[in-house]
Amino acid sequence: MAFGKTKREQTKNTLEGSEVPSKYWSRVKQRFFKNKLAKWSLRILIVIFLIGTFADFIANEKPLYCKIEGKTYFPVFKQYAVDLGLSTWDTKFYQTPWSEHNYEKLIMPPIPYSHFTIDSKNSRFKSPFDNQDVPSTRYWHWLGTDQFGKDVAAGMVRGARIAMLVGIISMLIASIIGIFFGVLGGFFGDNRFKVSRVRVLLNIIGIFFSYFYGFQVRSYALRMAGENGTLAIELSKSLFIVFVILLLCNLLARITERNNFLSKKITIPVDIIVMRIIEIMNSIPALFLLLAVMAILEQPSIISVMVIIGLIRWTGIARFVRAELLRIRSLEYIEAAEAMGFKDWRIILKHGLPNAIAPVLITIAFGIASAILLEAILSFLGIGLALEEVTWGELLSYARRNTRAWWLALFPGLAIFITVTILNIIGDGLTDALDPKSKV
Amino acid sequence: MFQYIVKRILYFIPTLFVISLLAFGLSKCTPGDPCNVPLPPESNKSSFINSEDDAKSRCNLFGLDKPTFYFALTSKAYPDSLYKILQKDKRTNWNDLIAQYGNWDQISKYKTSIRNLQLKLFDIPDSLGKRAIKKISNESKFLEVLSDDDAIVKKLKKIETIYNNNPSFGTIIGKEISDIKNNYEQIKEKSTLTQLYIPTLHWYGFDNQYHNWITSFFVGDFGISYNTYRPVFSEIRDAIFWTFLMMSLALILSYLVAIPLGVFSAKNKHLRFDKFATVLLFILYSLPAFWVATMMVVFFTTPEYGSWTNIFPGIGLGNLPSSAPFWDRFWETAKHLILPVLCLSYNRLAFISRQMRGGMLGVIQQDYIRTARAKGLGEQAVIWKHGLRNSLFPIITLFANILPTTLAGSVIIEVIFNIPGMGKLTLDAISQENYPIVFAVLMIAAVATMLGILLADILYSLSDPRVSFNKK
Repeated sequence: MAFGKTKREQTKNTLEGSEVPSKYWSRVKQRFFKNKLAKWSLRILIVIFLIGTFADFIANEKPLYCKIEGKTYFPVFKQYAVDLGLSTWDTKFYQTPWSEHNYEKLIMPPIPYSHFTIDSKNSRFKSPFDNQDVPSTRYWHWLGTDQFGKDVAAGMVRGARIAMLVGIISMLIASIIGIFFGVLGGFFGDNRFKVSRVRVLLNIIGIFFSYFYGFQVRSYALRMAGENGTLAIELSKSLFIVFVILLLCNLLARITERNNFLSKKITIPVDIIVMRIIEIMNSIPALFLLLAVMAILEQPSIISVMVIIGLIRWTGIARFVRAELLRIRSLEYIEAAEAMGFKDWRIILKHGLPNAIAPVLITIAFGIASAILLEAILSFLGIGLALEEVTWGELLSYARRNTRAWWLALFPGLAIFITVTILNIIGDGLTDALDPKSKV
Repeated sequence: MFQYIVKRILYFIPTLFVISLLAFGLSKCTPGDPCNVPLPPESNKSSFINSEDDAKSRCNLFGLDKPTFYFALTSKAYPDSLYKILQKDKRTNWNDLIAQYGNWDQISKYKTSIRNLQLKLFDIPDSLGKRAIKKISNESKFLEVLSDDDAIVKKLKKIETIYNNNPSFGTIIGKEISDIKNNYEQIKEKSTLTQLYIPTLHWYGFDNQYHNWITSFFVGDFGISYNTYRPVFSEIRDAIFWTFLMMSLALILSYLVAIPLGVFSAKNKHLRFDKFATVLLFILYSLPAFWVATMMVVFFTTPEYGSWTNIFPGIGLGNLPSSAPFWDRFWETAKHLILPVLCLSYNRLAFISRQMRGGMLGVIQQDYIRTARAKGLGEQAVIWKHGLRNSLFPIITLFANILPTTLAGSVIIEVIFNIPGMGKLTLDAISQENYPIVFAVLMIAAVATMLGILLADILYSLSDPRVSFNKK
């Protein structure tokens, strides 16, 4: 019923409906969802993601809800409060294992085991079809157990969380580095980054001194802080020193730039430098670099695996962003923005990057897949494992120790395979959907 | 063309330099100290000095008794000769003391006085109190690895009490102990903290660890293994044989199957076979090799699941003695290599086949294929002679990353099937803290990758003359 609306409102609505960016993305979305395989892959991925996110509610030895001696508890929720330091457990929960309380009412999670719960009655690799010693089918180990009687299904749920975390965090780090270098190389190219002589000189000197005073002189303090656990404070002090020295150098440069000779601009071939760095990174096989770095870490953990994968795997993203920005840079609207006198960073952030970001999504999808695979390989090899964690790769590696345990070979591997494959399908689907030549 | 290749090779040098710096830098961050030889528990003066010589000769063997790099950027408080202290934990400790007080002169006096005490302790006859001597000697060793003020003062007090409880020591080590105390007080009194803030550059010249490492790397000398004392080169040579053998077999297998399969699929695009093959190849392509390998080991090498699944021999390479007839050994090895080679090849097979199909589909639509058909060539000649040659180009360029990817892929396959190749060598080296092997392999892998990239560029420009060499 358009009668009630003023003409002004009508026009506004029409304009909003036909806004260009939303139309572009909706078209991409439409194309993507037309691909049935990609659509279902995305749905499965969301399910895995949700399993990872709500792992505590799916597989836990603690009840979701229980009533003991007339008191009501929500142990799974309470665990979060305890972890945050907001609450503490009653002593009885310390003293008695969760399975041995006299519950009046009880609701257990779908899998009534945590990934660390040791069911000693069912230790030594019980298969799903073996005669398991469990109180009821509710407590059946549907995917079998490992050597110590830990439930494989619970481990798989926990593994989903680790896999998702590895994929997301490592690609987040990789995206930040990759986009930064890609923008540098693609937007400035070889001949658009001009700085005055004195600024270059002062910055080189500044980097030297900030390294010396920020890290060299403070290396003892930093190392001690690393042992005492105050590394964050000392590191931020160091970074502050670096910041101050570089700031001083640039202020000095601004003053001295009044001199004619010193202020002569020189061009820095940013693109060549960026491409060199990418080439160097690409020349070192990722797995070997990862192995070498993990070898020197004294306490490797899942976090360090994520960070290192992120630090290694950014080159693909950087290349995509660079290529896209090289293309966009020569378009008219960037020229127009320049003619209007906008600053470089504003053009990059507001006009360049948003249009270059689409193809990055493809690399990120493939990147998550390869990060998950790399992490699985590492934990399969037993490198970078924290004792209390469980990953798919680790579960799979147990099958090598006991070849009778087919369930340990089958299920974790299947999880890795499915996750990696659907991510690859999503990547393929995105490639097609973002290609303007493909039909709607 | 020639110019282009020369230019590319020149580009190599800085890249390789940076990679070698990275690998060397990482190798310097490794935990543990290869020079450190634990002292035998029952030691006398000569064994004490012997152990120092031992450490020296070990360091010499591994080339660790040289300065680390061409130059060092430190502050004025640090002497340029600190690298001569061979044991890592002691070196770090003196470094820490300098970082706190900034006066190396005093610290080195303190250091000498500790050593004097340790030597003097051997002069005390055991009859005067073996346990007390042992205690003092242990405490004095702690002094060499302590930099925290409180801890040092505590240790000094402890030594003094032991000393006071054994008055018979008085004439022998009394002077040394008071020397240590005085020298430590001197360190604290005469601290020159300002020197810590004056940057200095020490130039060490070309006889340094990095220079020796990188120059000998290029003549094939990768250092000495920490565990076996064999040259790393010969260990890698033994291992690379197996990796190379599996790699070549896998490559031949995958290309032999993939190219006909891809061509056939493309030629018969309308057949159900093509649809089936496409799906199968996609699944093969995304199956993680280490999962498939584990499944194969679990199901096909053990009799757990009935004798009909126990088709292949177990992991490893069999254990026939080298005296066995050649053909027996050959068949034994061949049987053991079937599964690993299959696992190494199927991924690539699927990938090449997909590429081949895509390339062929593009080529078949070209005008010159129609021309070839029009001039009456047989279908086989059209496809295999005109079509294949032109769609092979992207496949040839795939050769580029064969070396690195196979090297990386073989790590896990070798571990699963227990084959003594490069990957297994690396992993074993990591678990044994045998770092010369780890970083030699890292460098070899990097050089192989760079050669692969160069090869790809050259092949690419050969296959498509439109690729320009000047502008990239």
